[in-house]
Amino acid sequence: MLWYKAWLETRGRFLACLITLTLFCFIFVHHAQEIAFRGDGPLRPGGLADYYRLLFVNQQFLVIMWVVSAVLLGMGGLVREKALGISTFTLSLPVSRTRLFGVRVTLGIFQAAALAILPWCAVFLASMSAGLPIRLSQVSFYVFLLLGGGLSYFAMAIFISSFVEGEYTAPAISFGVVLLTAIAFDAWLRPFSLWRLIAGDLSIDRRTYLLSPEFPWLGVSSSLAATLLMLLLALQRIRKRDF
Amino acid sequence: MRSRPLVPNRLLYYTVPIQRYSMLFQKLNPELGQPLYLQLMQQIQHAAETGILRDGDQLPGIRTLAEELVVSPNTIVKAYTELEHCGVLELRQGLGAFVKTGRRTRSIADRVQLARRRFRNVIDNLRAENLRDDEIQRAFEAELLIAAEASRKK
Amino acid sequence: MTDSLAIHTSGLTKSYGQFLAVDSLNLAVPRNRITAFLGPNGAGKSTTIKMLLGMIQPTNGDAAVLGHAISNPTECSRLRERIAYVAEDKPLYGYMTVEQLIRFTSRFYSDWRPDQAQRLLIAYRLPVHKKVRSLSKGMRTKLALLLAFARRPELLILDEPSEGLDPVGIEELLVELVSQAAAGVTVFFSSHQLAEVERVADHVCILNHGRLRLSAPIDDLRQSYRRIDFVFEAVPSARELIVPGIERIRSSGHQITVLTSRNADEVIRRARDLSAVSVEVSPVPLREIFLETVKETPGS
Repeated sequence: MLWYKAWLETRGRFLACLITLTLFCFIFVHHAQEIAFRGDGPLRPGGLADYYRLLFVNQQFLVIMWVVSAVLLGMGGLVREKALGISTFTLSLPVSRTRLFGVRVTLGIFQAAALAILPWCAVFLASMSAGLPIRLSQVSFYVFLLLGGGLSYFAMAIFISSFVEGEYTAPAISFGVVLLTAIAFDAWLRPFSLWRLIAGDLSIDRRTYLLSPEFPWLGVSSSLAATLLMLLLALQRIRKRDF
Repeated sequence: MRSRPLVPNRLLYYTVPIQRYSMLFQKLNPELGQPLYLQLMQQIQHAAETGILRDGDQLPGIRTLAEELVVSPNTIVKAYTELEHCGVLELRQGLGAFVKTGRRTRSIADRVQLARRRFRNVIDNLRAENLRDDEIQRAFEAELLIAAEASRKK
Repeated sequence: MTDSLAIHTSGLTKSYGQFLAVDSLNLAVPRNRITAFLGPNGAGKSTTIKMLLGMIQPTNGDAAVLGHAISNPTECSRLRERIAYVAEDKPLYGYMTVEQLIRFTSRFYSDWRPDQAQRLLIAYRLPVHKKVRSLSKGMRTKLALLLAFARRPELLILDEPSEGLDPVGIEELLVELVSQAAAGVTVFFSSHQLAEVERVADHVCILNHGRLRLSAPIDDLRQSYRRIDFVFEAVPSARELIVPGIERIRSSGHQITVLTSRNADEVIRRARDLSAVSVEVSPVPLREIFLETVKETPGS
């Protein structure tokens, strides 16, 4: 029943984000395709690179919207319930705080995954129906980059929502962190920028606009490690805190 | 015009069922400075002495009586247990609490019955002498009062 | 930690910096009884209950509920399956409907009674398809009580259950409490409705400033607390009348009123020795016992 409760609490946000992201990607790619490849298709000289550049641009937009969604999905939890005055009810249930946390995080990860996969499915369909040479390997690459690297943002949101009580303070701080880290890394640590990693900027070949065949395992692994660390710290906080 | 029943027949099925208790219990008063179970004991003992409760009558179950009087079931348990010690009740495992009037309480009830029969004879005689019921009542109460005063002065 | 007690605390303490919300509490709540947990606002009642249920970490001391120590979170979680708790502000998920919330809660407890739930749903006249956030305060209270009463737990903890209920609702609540107790449930409830407490409680605990001021069976209190009004020809000084057990002495003119928690006979004898002209003994209602108990200053 905890899954049902977590679903009820997040379905509004999740469905709104899902529809927004999917529709955007579909319309963007479909529309751009119409303009760019009417008539002679991508088989004209330089056309293929143009087509793959379109997909790359799509990922740039998607990353922005996905990170915003991930932060929104990471909000909530026991600390927010305390601010609303209902944490007492949840904590009187015969379930451990670890289980409560686990259900919330797991559902959030599944939702974040859906938000990465489904929009790209829509793009895949849009291109297939237009007869354009979309490659499954490229699509999977973009999806894995987004998820593998992007989950850090989700974990950060979970972390912040486990410490900060205000209903609006928590998301405000989370977005602030996203912005600040993006700016800071861009200014001083460009090669280590998570944002550029998940947007595919570090893997893209600027001539063909294809993602290079080597998957950036190091970058994604460090991101996943950071994700795990933040989640564990958040869990510890929840377990030790007085409600 | 066909007369309609004052209360539609189907409503009669929803009236409160007649209580199947052997006696009507009074609410217990927490402000008397006396444990509630003692008050309950006194109620039951009084009922047994005056013949309201007869030998073999069943008292309500603990839960039923607790809900009726809105008191802790522990109060009922204490009262029933003490009354069993006094010999007024018999607690039968799984069946409930049953009244067990001892020789003394039985004899009082019997004497009250006898007294009432004697009163009936006196009243019949006085009515035969053309005295009205209210005159008989006033005469009786006056005598009772004089007797009470006399016994107080002793 | 004894198993015959439903709740047993030993030196239980909770401090927030310098402030002691709960101060070395030694609570002993008997099983299969109705125990009232009284105290003014801010006395530490809710904090104590939250510590027992694992929501707040004690600063010091131990506690055992239903024979199990609360220091282990896993044990605590399993313990909550045998406890029904209605918190002070009746927290409920506003975004669920009445029906959803009942179904949600029922899934967590093996002692859930669907027939009870149905009966209470009808008796309380709760609108099944309405969202909880749109219910009136009284309805919310009844719903919160339903979620507890539709079960048969070992321990029922209620924090201010009558808040938000009208007199009819309070009467229904007491009948339900008594019904649960008759089924073997230990009841532990806090309330400001002392008149109601007097009717149903077997045991009374009074808390003030985080400390236990009084813990006794209510019958003991009924039999030992007395108010005695004396009239004297020659009024003695209060000092002459002091007997252990006297809580308060007030004098005005030829009258002296004594409130004593025990030894009423001794007080009367002493007054007679001092040539009291008239002696009138009256029982003391719980309300007065409570007010007298919490009147003490924190340092005394």
